[in-house]
Parts: sequence; structure tokens; C-alpha cells
Amino acid sequence: MTLSAPRPIIALRDVQKYYSDYHALRGITAEIQQGEFFSLLGPSGCGKTTLLRTIAGFEDVSSGTVHIDGKDMDGVPANVRPTNMVFQSYAIFPHLTVAENVGFGLRRAALSRTEKAAEVDAALKMVGLTGYGGRAAHALSGGQRQRVALARALILKPKVLLLDEPLSALDKKMREQMQIELRRLQRQVGITFILVTHDQEEALIMSDRIAVMFEGQIAQLASPQQLYRRPISRQVAEFIGVMNFLPVQVLGENGGRVQLNVAGLGACEITAEQCPSGVQIGAASVGLRPETLTVLFEGEVARGRELLGRVEEVQYFGDMTSYEVSLPDVARPVSISMRNLVGRQVLERGAPARVAWEEGALVLFC
Amino acid sequence: MKALKLYAVGYLVFLYAPILLLPLFAFNDAKVISFPLSGFTTHWFTEMTKIPALYAAFKNSLTIALCAALISTILGIFAARAATRFSFAGKGPIMGLIMLPLVLPDVIVAISLLVVLLQLGIALQTWTVIMGHVLICLPFSIAILNAAFQALDRSLEEAAIDLGETRVSTFRLVILPLVMPGIISSLLIAFTISFDEFIVSYFLTGSSPTLPVYIYGQFRYPAKVPVIMALGTLLVLGSFVLLSIAEYFRRRGIKRRGGQDTGGFL
Ligand SMILES: Nc1ncnc2c1ncn2[C@@H]1O[C@H](COP(=O)(O)OP(=O)(O)OP(=O)(O)O)[C@@H](O)[C@H]1O
Ligand SMILES: [Mg+2]
Repeated sequence: MTLSAPRPIIALRDVQKYYSDYHALRGITAEIQQGEFFSLLGPSGCGKTTLLRTIAGFEDVSSGTVHIDGKDMDGVPANVRPTNMVFQSYAIFPHLTVAENVGFGLRRAALSRTEKAAEVDAALKMVGLTGYGGRAAHALSGGQRQRVALARALILKPKVLLLDEPLSALDKKMREQMQIELRRLQRQVGITFILVTHDQEEALIMSDRIAVMFEGQIAQLASPQQLYRRPISRQVAEFIGVMNFLPVQVLGENGGRVQLNVAGLGACEITAEQCPSGVQIGAASVGLRPETLTVLFEGEVARGRELLGRVEEVQYFGDMTSYEVSLPDVARPVSISMRNLVGRQVLERGAPARVAWEEGALVLFC
Repeated sequence: MKALKLYAVGYLVFLYAPILLLPLFAFNDAKVISFPLSGFTTHWFTEMTKIPALYAAFKNSLTIALCAALISTILGIFAARAATRFSFAGKGPIMGLIMLPLVLPDVIVAISLLVVLLQLGIALQTWTVIMGHVLICLPFSIAILNAAFQALDRSLEEAAIDLGETRVSTFRLVILPLVMPGIISSLLIAFTISFDEFIVSYFLTGSSPTLPVYIYGQFRYPAKVPVIMALGTLLVLGSFVLLSIAEYFRRRGIKRRGGQDTGGFL
């Protein structure tokens, strides 16, 4: 038996989309694997919805190709594509009951009435709405509507489920609960999910891989960990969480090691892996996540190197404290976040602070 | 605030007092229309049923109103659908032209139609009146149906297509049921407008008059006036009932979709 390479369930090749003269998608190339939980993440207006609708067949591509399960989707209308969609507004049919909504896609299926009813019951059970079948669609809460939309889209067992910001209309508690539930559901049915979101935390929590989009292009396509730890540009780094940027001189590169002189931190050496956007000799910038910096307290010893700074701002969040600390020879104060462990005091504004940092946490942006 | 209230009351009195006189004289036991009233009778209502010409005019009006309502609603559905869903060259001017009869004096519309028909050598028949009425009713139908179609969330349509339905079956399964209240409302209002319409009917009627045209003709005979009052009472009542039903359906349509009421004809 030979192992064939996994075939991507969706292959996008240089997809371009123009709305009259507005260039909404500017050459999207990506492959999405079977069974993957894939997220499209980006700021408002970057083209996430447009890309999703292009895959669903609601928008024609201006050029480029969309393959689903190996088949070219050019000229294939939305109603015969093996994809189903959960709309941002949920698009529950208001004149139908919950069961009629969920069973809507089965209308053309060659199933008996009892078989269809059984399918609907199974779908409702899957999303935790057993017994809600007879309800009128407008008598549902936001979370329940969302579940109905999910059940309705999953009942046809699509090859790909497309979700356009499905959680954005829910309150925080409900959203967090649904994030977990969606992920569980995806593992259970094994269907490829493509989720559109502008919430970076949501994307990190739920996804196997994330495509970060800016202005119609994919800036980076990577796993959540890679995206967070090795962002390919300052723009990506700033969009995913918080990052401190410091000016740097790249001095040289040999044997997979890169020599730097970082403003305020001094000379140091990092690995090639810490340079996701490549290495160029000359001026550039390095990034440091707030949690990779440490404020040392009396008796504590730095694991890496140590500097003396001054606390400019303190924000106390309960579980953690966020400091703005000014460092000698660094123009802007750096953000440092510390967990509030037992016995660890919170520094006051204006207090001197010993700051520890490690070479391994640096990311170089050339 | 108080001045506004006073104004509203005054307005209503001015608008409806003349109409309230209709039933007053319809039940008055005298051949002349004047105060003081002389006694209660239902005589004029029974008298009314004994006039064959009136019955013929009524039947004629009914046919015309039914046809006009049906045609203007069907045309209105196409127009509203096109206006809310598709963009095409010259959409603004085209919609403007369709809505024009709403503000054009009916006399102008009627005379223009008459001229065209005479030039074409077409004899005045029932269907020529229907055509004229469709012209008058269409703007109202489109206004009502436009609102109904506009209130539709576009993603509902896309959801149905996404679930395997074609454009045609989507229209039947999703769009039609959701705009049905608007359609019923359009049918009722167009029917009422056509049934009450006078000027276009007056110009375009051939040998068989519509009810309003017949009523107008009867005013030449003072003896017939109390009967007309009785007839008028019934017509006002009928119009009121139809418009109420139309408004009920319009509101129900909005409520069913969980939308906000943004005004209407009533
Ligand atoms: N039908 C359309 N006609 C013209 N321009 C459009 C159309 N749909 C979207 N656009 C434009 O294309 C760009 C991308 O839109 P899109 O809806 O894909 O953004 P998005 O990433 O989903 O944003 P959001 O997070 O706000 O939903 C936007 O600038 C938008 O104005
Ligand atoms: Mg969007």
C-alpha cells in the first residue's frame, strides 16, 4: 500500500476579485486540508467575507481558480457546490419552524418522510436543541438561532462548512461557550470548517491553521503558535496580540546565527528561525512579546539578561499586571505583562524595575 | 403640544364630517337632502336593490377592480423585485416614470389615454378601463411591494440556494411566503383604488359605466339622491373594511419578520 499525499479539500490559486473597479481579492493562493479547522482572520474590509463567498459560489472570481475536492468550481453554481454556509445573520427562515428550517436542505433528498424526520432529530440533538423542532423560528434566542443555522448547514454533510463570523452577535459568555462547542462539533463530524473572524483570540483558540489577511491578500498562513511566536511582519505581529518593537542593526549572519545590536539591549545573537521574514544586513526592527519580558523582584535572578528601568504605568487586571517600563536608550516604554503569583508584589508607578529578557524571545523583522 | 392636538382634531373633523353625513341622509325618511332630519328608514337600501342598471354598474366595477388589482400587483411584484435586487442601467429614471401617475393629475392621464386609444382606433371597452386603472394603481402596488421586498434579508435567499434550491424554487419557498402580506395588501389597496376611481373610468368607459360613473350620472335626478346616499354609505364601509384588512396584513408581515414599523399608507 502506498500512502498518497493528502489531497487538499480546497485549493485556491491566484484568486482575484474585482467589484467593478475595487480590487477586493489580490491573488489569494492557499490549500486547505480535509478535516482542518481553518480560520480567515483580518481587520474589517480586508476581504474575508468576499473570499468565503467566492468559495461558496455566491461571487464569481475575476481570475484564478477555486478547486473543491479536486474539482474546478468554475461555472459551478452555489446550489450544487459541496459547501454549506452559516451566515453572519444566521438567515433562519422566519416563516418556518425550527424543524422545517433544519430539514430545508433535505427537500430534494430521496428520503422518506420518517427518514427525514429522523435526520432532523439527529441534527437537532447534535447541536443540543432536542425538542425544539416545533418552535417558531422567531421565538429563539441568539445562541439558539446560531445552533439552528449550524444544524441546517450540517444536515447535508457538506465537504466544507463555511462560517461567516458566526459568534460575533453573541455576548461574551455565550461566545466563549460556543467556541468550545464549535470546536468539539468539528472534531465530531470531521468536516472541514472555514471560519471567518476578526477576533484574533477566537482564531487562536479554535483553529488548526489561520490565514491572516490584509487588504485582499494573505499576509501569513500558519498554525496559531507559529503565528503568535513567529509573525512574518510587524503588521501581523500587531494584529495578533501586543508586541514591543525596538530598532536594531543587523550586523551579520553565519552558520544559522544572526548577530544583532538592539537599541537599549545591546549586542546579541539569535537563530535563523527567529527571522521569519529573512535576514538583511542593516537597520531593521525586533519584536518582543510582553509576556517574554519579566520584572524581577528582590532576590529573583534573571534567566537571561538584565536591565534597569523605571515603571511608567501600571494596569492591574487581577490575574495579571501590565507594566509600561521605560528602558535606558529606548525611545518608547515597553509593555511587560506579569502573572500575579502568590507573594509577588505589584510595583508602583515611578519605581525602579529590574527587567529580564532573553535572546530566544526576539523576532526579527527585516 | 395643545395646539397640535387641536389641529389634529380639527383636521379629522374637516376630513370626515362630510362622510358622516352620508349615512345620516341614507337613513333619513325624506326625498330631499336637508336638515332637519325627518325620521328613520331603511327604505333607500331596499330601493337600491331594485335598480338593474345599478346592479350592472356594480358588477362591471367589480370585474374591473379585480382585474386591475391582479394585473397591477403582478406587475408590481416584477418591478419591486427588480428594483430591490438588481441594478441595471437607467434604473432611477425607469422607476421614476413608473411612479409618475402618483403625482400626475388623473385628468391628464385619462385624456392622454383617450387620445391614444382614439388614434389607434380602439373602441372603448371594459379592458380599456382596466388598462387605465392599472396605470393608476401600479405606483401604489409598487410602493407597498417595494417595502415588502426591501425588508427581506438577502441572506435568506442565499441560504436557500446554499441548501440546494434553484433561484425559481427559492422564490417560491422563501421569498413568496415572506412577501405574501405585502401582496395581499397590494391586491386590496389596488382593488379599492380601482373600485372608487372616477375620472379615468369616466373618460374610458364604453357603453357600460362603472359604479362611480353611474352614481355621477344619477345626480341629475333629485329623486335618486337618497338612494345614492345609501349606496355611498355601503361603499365607504366597504373601502374602510378593505383598507383595514390591507393594513392588518402589512403590519403582520413586518411583525412576522421581527422588523420595525416604518409607516405605510395607513
Ligand atoms: N458587493 C460589493 N460591491 C462592491 N464592493 C464590495 C462588495 N462587497 C464587498 N465590497 C468591498 O470589498 C471589501 C471587502 O469586503 P468584505 O465584505 O469581504 O470584508 P470583510 O473582511 O468581510 O470585512 P468585515 O470584517 O467588515 O465583514 C470591502 O472594502 C467592501 O467595501
Ligand atoms: Mg465580513
